[in-house]
Amino acid sequence: MTRRILHVDYSLCIGCETCEGVCDFIHGGRPNIKVYYTITGIPVPINCRHCEKAPCMDVCPAGAIYRDSDGAVIINPNKCIGCLMCLAACPFGVPTFDVKLKAVTKCDMCADRRRLGTAPACAEMCPAGAIFFGKPEEVEEKVRRRTAEKIARERLAAVNLEGVGRML
Amino acid sequence: MDEKLVPVVCPYCGVGCRLYIRSSDGHPLGIEYANDIPGISNENGKLCPKGNAVLEYVLARDRLKKPLKAKEQGKFVEISWSQAIKEVAERLKEYSKDDPNSMMFFGSAKTFNEPNYLIQKLARMLGTNNVDHCARLCHASTVSGLKAVFGAGAMTNTYRDIEEANVIFIIGHNFAETHPVGFRYVLKAKERGAKVIVADPRFTRTAWFADIYLQHYPGTDIALINGLIHVIIEERLYDEKFVRERCTGFDELAKTVEKFTPGYVEKITGVPADLIVQAARTFATGGKGVITWAMGITQHTHGHDNVRLLATLSAICGYQGREGCGVSPMRGQNNVQGACDLGVLPNVFPGYKAVSDPEGRKFFEEFWGTELSGEVGLTVIEAAHAIEKGKVRAYYVMGENPVISDANTNHVIKALHKLEFMVVQDIVPTPTMEFADIVLPAAAMLENEGSLTNTERRVQWSFQAINPPGEARPDWWIVSEIGKAAGFTGDGPKGFNYSGPEDILREVNACTPQYRGITPERLKANLAGIHWPCPSEDHPGTRVLYKERFLTSDGKAHLAAVEYRGPAETPDEDYPFLLTTVRYVGHYHTLTMTGRSRALVKRWPEPLAEIHPEDAERLGIKTGDWVKIVTRRGEYPIRAKVTRTVKKGVIAVPWHWGANVVTNDALDPVAKIPETKACACKVVKITEEEARELMKKVPPVIPEIEIVRG
Repeated sequence: MTRRILHVDYSLCIGCETCEGVCDFIHGGRPNIKVYYTITGIPVPINCRHCEKAPCMDVCPAGAIYRDSDGAVIINPNKCIGCLMCLAACPFGVPTFDVKLKAVTKCDMCADRRRLGTAPACAEMCPAGAIFFGKPEEVEEKVRRRTAEKIARERLAAVNLEGVGRML
Repeated sequence: MDEKLVPVVCPYCGVGCRLYIRSSDGHPLGIEYANDIPGISNENGKLCPKGNAVLEYVLARDRLKKPLKAKEQGKFVEISWSQAIKEVAERLKEYSKDDPNSMMFFGSAKTFNEPNYLIQKLARMLGTNNVDHCARLCHASTVSGLKAVFGAGAMTNTYRDIEEANVIFIIGHNFAETHPVGFRYVLKAKERGAKVIVADPRFTRTAWFADIYLQHYPGTDIALINGLIHVIIEERLYDEKFVRERCTGFDELAKTVEKFTPGYVEKITGVPADLIVQAARTFATGGKGVITWAMGITQHTHGHDNVRLLATLSAICGYQGREGCGVSPMRGQNNVQGACDLGVLPNVFPGYKAVSDPEGRKFFEEFWGTELSGEVGLTVIEAAHAIEKGKVRAYYVMGENPVISDANTNHVIKALHKLEFMVVQDIVPTPTMEFADIVLPAAAMLENEGSLTNTERRVQWSFQAINPPGEARPDWWIVSEIGKAAGFTGDGPKGFNYSGPEDILREVNACTPQYRGITPERLKANLAGIHWPCPSEDHPGTRVLYKERFLTSDGKAHLAAVEYRGPAETPDEDYPFLLTTVRYVGHYHTLTMTGRSRALVKRWPEPLAEIHPEDAERLGIKTGDWVKIVTRRGEYPIRAKVTRTVKKGVIAVPWHWGANVVTNDALDPVAKIPETKACACKVVKITEEEARELMKKVPPVIPEIEIVRG
């Protein structure tokens, strides 16, 4: 099992809603990633975190929720009874009830695209590069590198601007 | 089934993103991301929401499929192509014989270089320089302002230079929203440690990423920039060597900005004095600096001066002629730069040769084999005024929508009513089409091929991916047929005999020095395109302009000293608010394209007027309430959004849905651009019924046209 994670870096989001747009397209008009704006106007894209100890999976009375080989938490619509216990348990309020399907749906980390060897659409398309997809160590590496640069930058900025651009 | 991947250029903004259309026998199956082409402006094939929805407007149900002739206003009968072309050519020839200056031609920044070259050639061969396009409404000030200071009106650098800059000054430009994919270069620079300074009357998405944010009142840009220059000169932070060797007019500049102390500027702009000092210091000491701007700077009665000042600011800091530096006016359409380069402007021939200059005129007279007018023609807004005076009687509109896009819509509509003859060449019905006598159905961008020039002077070839619907034909074909029917049947450049866009581009190569080496063969082989100027076929293209000298007569940058002027109309007792227009990331200009895209309309369904909470409370307005924006020119119903992103006393309205009924058509004296970014208005709370009534008076962005039997 190769674990993959889908990580959103909120500090990079420009609120262009491209992620929501492509997800909407791929999932027939029901986007699984949605951009919400806080009262201060800052965009926060909310999607399934594919938790390691997924509360939805634990609480599902029908056993409809499982983890696939990449580590994505998936709902099997045939087993789902639509009790919405997963929504009650989810810390992010992610599961969505689909009236037509009579089942709960949510982000499946673009299972179809992963089967073809491509990344989830939102990660692939984000113009700001705010969505990371990959093995946990790869993603963590990128996030830490960014943080390191931020720390270095703040130290340099305290001295003067001359040194800027000479990093790395 | 013959399935193929066709590389095209996105038909929306000036970033010029590449993508593939997967098509089978001329039918689109979907889009694919161009993540395998190195060196394109959208790294890894990234697209914004509009780019992802490119296929939707092409497949719109109401695409024009047959040439139409008006029976009465707004009612059309179908006619054949030969009939349409014959009629247009004959009418144009009549006007040409009578008085060529009674015709006005509109090129389009939404179509390829080739038809744009042809339409200005047609206008000029018919004897008039009355040819213009929508750059007049967006970057006319940039073209004239940069030409005055540096000698040419184009971005001096590329996206890569934005990425390599140490300090990026974004003014009057909501970069993250207007060019989301291009904004990635700013984010990458910021990741590297670059400082971002944003000046905008609204706290925009771009401002979220600012290290220093300056919130000035709409229309006070001159004071703000003068204030920055004041601090830079006062603290001797400018590049003395660069100023000495490559600029003129510094002393006058220093004298003019003397009184623009941070304290004085604070009073005018509302930006705290210490922030101005901080921004000036940060910008001048960055070592490598880029200034980017867009409509917030240009769409003013002092747009020309705004641009000259920004160019001056960049020059005194020595941020010219080097990598990682420069000025980057961001173009709104994918081919504004190209349409300007190829002379779809009333004052210049292709390659920016002035029509009033006898030498340049002589070259084109010999090249096209006909006599040409040396009189500078009319601009878009001037033409609307000239109709009223009876001077202009015929319009040829290629891919433009002046009813929605021009300032002061009510005046434009009044003028169009008076026209004798109007041809509209477009892909879908627009409100402008209501006034047309002849409608020519054009193929959309993805349905034909040609070259496009993006905002960073990158010329790219876009291939045909889809078959046009019905009898719709490529723009270049339509214009060249009209040219031939009008009697211009000479050989080569002397006539309109072309077998394809390649022929036309070769003719452009021959007469436009900047494009000399940009041949169709080279463009087709190199998908990432070539940056002009490219003087010969073995030239790789130019990334940074002005490395050695500027293009002015003496080779130096002519620094501008400008006194402060506010907007043409300032708030008063009757109209106490300052209105500014904005746009949304998911919509595009007059909605002819995005308005037909279900995915985009779903996410951005309606405009919202932004109003400050204190103003809203005083007027008893809550988010979601209907209000009407009233100015001296008209009324516009819209729902309100109470937010702190705007300053007290400022109202921001998205213009896509026809908000130009209220904007001011006062013109910049040089650039002739209307001031759509600042005017006085009042806000009145209304009921939903009143709003519906008012809505009927605003031209519908997606009109329904009636086709009747002959």
